[in-house]
Amino acid sequence: MNVNHFHALLPLLVLATGIVVLMLQIAWKRNIGLSAALAALTLALAALSCRFAVEVAPLQVTPLLQADRFALLFCTLFCLAGAATALLSRDYIVMRGDQPGEFFLLLLLATMGACVLAYAVHLASLLLGLELLSVSLYTLIAYPNKTVLPLEAAAKYLVLSGAASATALFGFALLYAATGTLEFATLGQKLGVTDTPQSMLLPAAAMIFTGLAFKLSLVPFHLWTADVYDGAPAPVTGFLASVAKGAVFVVLLRLFLDADLFRYRILVEVTGLLAILSMLGGNLLALLQTNIKRMLAYSSIAHLGYLMIIFMVCITSADKALAVEAAIYYLIAYTATTVAAFGLLTLISADQAERENIQLQQVSGLFWRQPLPACLMLVALLSLAGIPLTAGFIAKFYLVNAAVSGHNWVLLAALVVGSSIAIYYYLRVIYYMTRRPEEHPVVQETISGWRGRILSGVLIGSILLLGVAPQSLMHYLRAILH
Amino acid sequence: MMETLFYLAAVVALAATGLALTRANAAHALIYLIVSLLAVAVTFFLMGAPFAAALEIVIYAGAIMVLFVFVIMMLNVGEEGITREREWLSGRNWIVPGLLAALLLLELVIALRHAPTTTAGVDVTPKAVGLTLFGPYVLAVEIASMLLLSGLVGAYHLGRRFIVRRERRGGAS
Repeated sequence: MNVNHFHALLPLLVLATGIVVLMLQIAWKRNIGLSAALAALTLALAALSCRFAVEVAPLQVTPLLQADRFALLFCTLFCLAGAATALLSRDYIVMRGDQPGEFFLLLLLATMGACVLAYAVHLASLLLGLELLSVSLYTLIAYPNKTVLPLEAAAKYLVLSGAASATALFGFALLYAATGTLEFATLGQKLGVTDTPQSMLLPAAAMIFTGLAFKLSLVPFHLWTADVYDGAPAPVTGFLASVAKGAVFVVLLRLFLDADLFRYRILVEVTGLLAILSMLGGNLLALLQTNIKRMLAYSSIAHLGYLMIIFMVCITSADKALAVEAAIYYLIAYTATTVAAFGLLTLISADQAERENIQLQQVSGLFWRQPLPACLMLVALLSLAGIPLTAGFIAKFYLVNAAVSGHNWVLLAALVVGSSIAIYYYLRVIYYMTRRPEEHPVVQETISGWRGRILSGVLIGSILLLGVAPQSLMHYLRAILH
Repeated sequence: MMETLFYLAAVVALAATGLALTRANAAHALIYLIVSLLAVAVTFFLMGAPFAAALEIVIYAGAIMVLFVFVIMMLNVGEEGITREREWLSGRNWIVPGLLAALLLLELVIALRHAPTTTAGVDVTPKAVGLTLFGPYVLAVEIASMLLLSGLVGAYHLGRRFIVRRERRGGAS
């Protein structure tokens, strides 16, 4: 490895340094404010350092990692989402766990896992990144140690996610036995050669896909989602729904692109089938919920379903780059929106030691009590529903555009039906938030401090900006992919 | 010849894992789990990866499993515990795992006498493992160290939950 290689890995190096510094700080003197500030600073610096790492991209650093603009874009996104989570959790976690310092250490480790996944072009780095992300998340979910619910959620996630990782790993082993390589690109070449034993490829593909689909919580691998989202602390749920899923999707997309798995039509059709099931299943289940966190859990299943259609679009459309571009844009918009939605739940629950204010009843009349956080939720929900002027609208428009160019009418129909069901349950939350004070039981929540307010402002601004002026990001994405 | 031994060891591994899963008693399950890990080590050895086989025994069967057995045994203290442990050691509880382990030992002896023929045709020496780990896979080692750190911090925090609760209860009474 030479200087250029280190230069290309700058975000990972910044994160690793931050992790060590934060660990030493906790060992030296516990101070929650300092820990949170260090974590946010590290994540911001890591996001900034992607800007410099681009100078040497694209560059392959050892067979494991590939530093290109695709990877660095997602590194920036994950680090920014991580920084938002760190700022949000500051007041929340103090109320709920003793010794809250390690929370931020684990958050940095989880973000690092997501960044490794963005860089990964090798099944070994894929697995390591995935495990780094999941193992950190187990503890992050169980972090509040004054109630039992998070522990239950973490236990469920631990068992099911561990089984999913093991399944994927078995698939990798079969793939290695069939092709003799773990690198995505070489895998693509080896799969094209006719003397590769075909009998092992089907079980290998099925196992890998099952493992990753579980992490993406696509129907029918979604059973864990609602319970884990409900039990986990709100800022961690936001991180889990945005960064953890986004990172797995990114690596799946890269696996399909680099190893050219689009040549296996049956595999791509399975992704299409799961997409349809997730879009319909997720939205229908979300209709039944009165708990906002569970509703957002099912809606995240549906959103991953929308994203999964691009694999099908890639093989039917002449313009594969358009489909990938749509996916990237959607992922960015979805991440910003999800962090915002769970951000609100964090803000209004921050002063409670045990429970969270996550029932529909509890946000009743929020507009009259807390206008700024309510606006944050409003913008986030409108963006999730895909209403114009928000990031979600442009993202969904992009997807529809890609699906039309590929003539995927069945997928498109599922997307439209799913989205129209979704509008009902998103608007229901907004309806509750606008109820007059005399119509609802009085709930008092105090929203502490400038941190939440600034972050709300920034998130509202970025969602609207992505929705009103998406051109510069679109141009950048096009420049990456062509 | 080597293939036959390999499949025999694989069958032992599967059988021992199945038995470990179906035992109602944690101590018996652990004994079968150790046999299963030993069988996996023998398959590694027969495939031509003696270093991985040694690690499997030293780390999994040796360190981790013995730790488990220790903890379970330590939970059985006092007069009642002694009778229970005596029950565990009676008759068929140790004969089946013992037979399976003896079978594995026999396989190992046969394989050693026929060395260096392996099913893969090549031997992966410790030197080759080291060169790969600190050559192309050096970043994997670094990321794995972060993974271990994450597991360690997590175990520390989750373990504290029970200590804190006990302290709180002690303070209240």
